[in-house]
Amino acid sequence: MFYREAGQFKTSYPSDQAIFPILQDRWTVITILVVAFVVIPLVANQYWLGPILTQFLVFSLAALGLNILTGYAGQLSLGTGGFMAVGAYATFNLVLRIPELPLVVALIVAGVITAFVGVLFGLPSLRIKGFYLAVATLASQFFLIWLFDHVGWFTNYDTAGVASAPSRTLFGALADAGGPLDFLAPINPVVSGPRAATETKYLLTLTVVAVLALMAKNMVRSGIGRTWMAIRDMDIAAEIIGISPIRAKLSAFAVSSFYCGVAGGLYVFTYLGNADTEAFGLTRSFQILFMVIIGGLGSVVGSFMGAAFIVFMPVLLNNVSSVVFGGTLSGDTISNMELMIFGGSIIFFLIVEPHGFARLWQIAKQKLRVWPFPY
Amino acid sequence: MSDTLFFFEVLIAGLLSGVMYSLVALGFVLIFKASGVFNFAQGALVLFAALSLVILLEYGDGGAIWGWTGWLALILAGAAGVFYMLSRRASVARRLVPSNWMVWGGAALGLIVLGTLFEGDKAMWRAAFITLLAFFVLVVGAKRPGAAAAVLLGLAVACLLPVGQILPGDIWNFWRSIAITLLVMVLLAMAIERVALRPLINQEHIILFMVTIGLNFLIEGMAQGIWDSQVHGLDIGIPDMPIQAIIDSTGLFISTFDVFAAVMAIVLVAGLGLFFQKTRIGRALRAVADDHQAALTVGIPLQDIWAIVWSAAGFVALVAGILWGAKLGVQFSLSLIVLKALPVLILGGFTSVPGAIVGGLMIGATEKLVEVFIGIPYFGGGTESWTPYIFAMFFLLFRPQGLFGEKIIERV
Amino acid sequence: MAEKTFKDRIAFHQSLETLEVDFSNVTFSSVDEVDAFYDEVDQQLAKTGRRWYFLIIYLDCVIEPQVWERFAERGKNTNVKYSLGTVRVGASEETREEIRGRAKEDRFRSNIFASREEALFAIAERRKRQEVLVERQTDDYLRVEDVQLLFGGIRALDGVGFSVNRGEIFSIIGPNGAGKTSMLNVINGFYRPTRGQIVFDGRDRTSLKPRAVAGLRFARTFQNIALFKGMTTLDNIMTGRLLRRRSNFLWDAIYWGISKNEEMENRDYVEGIIDFLEIEAIRKTPVGRLPYGLQKRVELARALAMEPKVLLLDEPMAGMNLEEKQDMVRFILDANDQWGITMILIEHDMAVVMDISNFVVVLDHGQKIAEGVPDEVRVDPVVIRAYLGQN
Ligand SMILES: Nc1ncnc2c1ncn2[C@@H]1O[C@H](COP(=O)(O)OP(=O)(O)OP(=O)(O)O)[C@@H](O)[C@H]1O
Ligand SMILES: [Mg+2]
Repeated sequence: MFYREAGQFKTSYPSDQAIFPILQDRWTVITILVVAFVVIPLVANQYWLGPILTQFLVFSLAALGLNILTGYAGQLSLGTGGFMAVGAYATFNLVLRIPELPLVVALIVAGVITAFVGVLFGLPSLRIKGFYLAVATLASQFFLIWLFDHVGWFTNYDTAGVASAPSRTLFGALADAGGPLDFLAPINPVVSGPRAATETKYLLTLTVVAVLALMAKNMVRSGIGRTWMAIRDMDIAAEIIGISPIRAKLSAFAVSSFYCGVAGGLYVFTYLGNADTEAFGLTRSFQILFMVIIGGLGSVVGSFMGAAFIVFMPVLLNNVSSVVFGGTLSGDTISNMELMIFGGSIIFFLIVEPHGFARLWQIAKQKLRVWPFPY
Repeated sequence: MSDTLFFFEVLIAGLLSGVMYSLVALGFVLIFKASGVFNFAQGALVLFAALSLVILLEYGDGGAIWGWTGWLALILAGAAGVFYMLSRRASVARRLVPSNWMVWGGAALGLIVLGTLFEGDKAMWRAAFITLLAFFVLVVGAKRPGAAAAVLLGLAVACLLPVGQILPGDIWNFWRSIAITLLVMVLLAMAIERVALRPLINQEHIILFMVTIGLNFLIEGMAQGIWDSQVHGLDIGIPDMPIQAIIDSTGLFISTFDVFAAVMAIVLVAGLGLFFQKTRIGRALRAVADDHQAALTVGIPLQDIWAIVWSAAGFVALVAGILWGAKLGVQFSLSLIVLKALPVLILGGFTSVPGAIVGGLMIGATEKLVEVFIGIPYFGGGTESWTPYIFAMFFLLFRPQGLFGEKIIERV
Repeated sequence: MAEKTFKDRIAFHQSLETLEVDFSNVTFSSVDEVDAFYDEVDQQLAKTGRRWYFLIIYLDCVIEPQVWERFAERGKNTNVKYSLGTVRVGASEETREEIRGRAKEDRFRSNIFASREEALFAIAERRKRQEVLVERQTDDYLRVEDVQLLFGGIRALDGVGFSVNRGEIFSIIGPNGAGKTSMLNVINGFYRPTRGQIVFDGRDRTSLKPRAVAGLRFARTFQNIALFKGMTTLDNIMTGRLLRRRSNFLWDAIYWGISKNEEMENRDYVEGIIDFLEIEAIRKTPVGRLPYGLQKRVELARALAMEPKVLLLDEPMAGMNLEEKQDMVRFILDANDQWGITMILIEHDMAVVMDISNFVVVLDHGQKIAEGVPDEVRVDPVVIRAYLGQN
């Protein structure tokens, strides 16, 4: 009885078409936002804010990006890591070469650059389908990583091939005291580099992710989202009712890559601090894909839940095994066990619920709706 | 050396290594053809096979393969088998089969956990693994307990007989290890099909694909947990040396080993081709590939077919494991050759055995030529990681179903 | 020779515009006899100076094989000059076979009936239709000309042509595998015909892609339902509005301005269709969970949401129970009335086809074997045979 839409009759299409038509959903979202923006920065320690929550947010964003492409538009991609790398190196070079550029602007421009790269590598999708396409997307993964490894310009000729996030403020040099935008100076914290506070980086990431998630939700519930889903569900019928497969697929690649690119930029600037291409390898692509599948294909919240599962599970495992075995195990054994448990739990999860957390969530809502009655 | 000669040398090296890629791709094709599953874990299977073989070889040098833990596990498994078969006779116990499953699975898991306590000594891991496999044999063989018992007995005898009188020690050890590994691979493959994929029949392809990626991690972890993560050399008695006769006659450096590997691969492909074309099971397999539902309605036992196919994939993984292991050394990175097989797969067509070979040759040649003549001189190398994919991708633009894949007809 | 003279055996029924020729108990055994008969007939006909329906009674008439050629030749000439159509009664087994064989070869209708009454009735019916036919002036809204479609060796369509009028319900029928679906596929650009033309509203559009055809506001439903399985009923119908989308993904992302307005307008229109098709209750249900009949209805809704000028319906009632069929018929007729949509309908349920179509084309083995208004097609032996030949 907690979760009831009965009695909440919609008297107009605008309110029925609203993003969260049900009152309880609205409250849940507001609560989550308040907790994320206010409560967590106040109570969480550095470990939780930094490596765990920020990482979670970044991966959620990447998963959201991949979910748009794979879950909504039905194009299976294994090249997420490569696109994240494009975003990361684009942000790095933009910030490095145009020091005045505010980080947020750099992130957006990097996202746009990634979108173009994504469209380029998405072109084959017009001819190639299914697993053939999935394997073909590995071309982008391996080519892009190779490019960043072998062309020194991208890493500013760093000998180790590492891109380190330089120190930058939120609005950039323009907002420094005495600059043209100096009225912004009081709210112009350092957001990247070694001097940036973990809280600031967390809040920046959270803001970007929240805004982009909202935009993703908007897209998937309106025209463009239907275009994608139509192509996903039955491309022939979609074409016959007048949808352009070219525009649908390429826009999905563009939007998806934009999200992955921004996620890549955030990954380096607000989470890792510095990164080499290792961080964007094939394993990363698979990891993101796992998040999408486990979260639920074609679900925005699912992306977050999947990311949470993949990010939190190893942490949990670590804690459990250190409690149970108390350091009797060698690192080697632990890492093998981690591999096995990770693989095993994914198999188990998929067998139990192939449609992911999103489906579980739906079922739970259904149950809550009729609680305490069984039907 | 003249440029042409060098070109041909690179080309031939590429073609030969391409055949090696085909070997891995073949495992994919088999499974995809029969069950529509894109089995990403094939690389992990190759690793597992090679690692099992090397370690068996090393342990078995002149003695029994396992020490007291091995004995213990086998005795346990044997006892389990006897109990199990006895219980199957009583009608009451028959109804308890599912719970038997759980009891034995639980016991095996317990053994694994226990095994992890013995740090530095992998014995218990292995014991647990054997128990699990033995248990699997029992469950699967429940319908034919005699066969199941024979398999277990064979395993025990093969493990324990140290050196035969008939064969010299190292030959005995080699073939014994191969036989045991093969058995283990077949059992493992069948177990995968049974445990992970059968519950997901009729799910979307992408879900099954993800499960095999999960399997990939699981088997990689298992391989290194049960065996170890060192680099092992595997010597199968074929030297990786240029053939003198060819050097003398043409001046080309071509390795004996590469030629041997190529011949093995071709034999394997020819064998599988014949198997598909000529045997009853092969024809059933093709029927299954065409339409699962129809195959079921005409009475083809789908599940048996899948078990056979997975076993065959296990076998192919073993051959690939031996050849690749002998070439590169047996180590973790062996599972990465799956990435070489994927472009071969899409180029040749997911469902085509000859496609795997032709695709392999094309990919191998392109990759080596680009690397030697463009990659190294102009870009500092490393192009091999992506040229196969770009090449295959461009190829697919003209033929979206690959060289020999079935054409996709769209209808409404 | 016969007791009655040929003259006696020829009777004109003015009211039916019918010339009755009675051959009962006549034997033709020489060319002269045949000529004598036809000369008489031609002479009489020439006097009237106009065309007639022919009713020929063959009861116990024998035409010996050696005069068949002559008989047929003269008959053909007379037919060409004076006939509006011929019906035959009571031919012997042998004669009947011969007539049928020739009819098939030369592609005319053999029209053989069991009794004189039946034959007269058929003529009466036919005259009625003829009047209707004369009224059916084609406006060539959609014209299919000599379309051929080959799949390797299979001739899915072979020289098919017809013309659809604006606002009519035009049916294509035929046995399984006749090429009906292929015809729709050609019309909406999914297949490119190997020969022939499609002309819509005076413009050739043979080589347009499906999307461009959709742009001309051709909508369609599919034989095997082609809904978007992962979406709700509402979303499925909303996809019908995508054609006229002006917003783009950037506007959609902020869900503001043009995006939001468009969404509301579309929703408004779609709600109209949902009301029209009485599917309010399943708005938010994923279509995969709907029963078959409702899925078909949602598909129709999606097509209607495109505000089509031409609607192609591929077996919209297949697999439905009587009640569902009645609903569907009602919707089709209402849609035709309300929006003046031109409909091309494929349907196996003859009762429905004959009930609601303005015009029917019959395909078999990729060829057009008959066309006409429903009543005409219903009794056409060629059509009946095509269907019976099935079993
Ligand atoms: N894409 C295709 N490739 C090859 N043959 C085809 C294709 N599409 C249709 N055909 C063949 O063309 C012929 C006509 O098929 P079509 O689907 O048009 O028949 P139909 O009249 O719609 O039959 P039904 O009543 O069964 O729906 C059939 O023999 C069919 O096998
Ligand atoms: Mg059809």
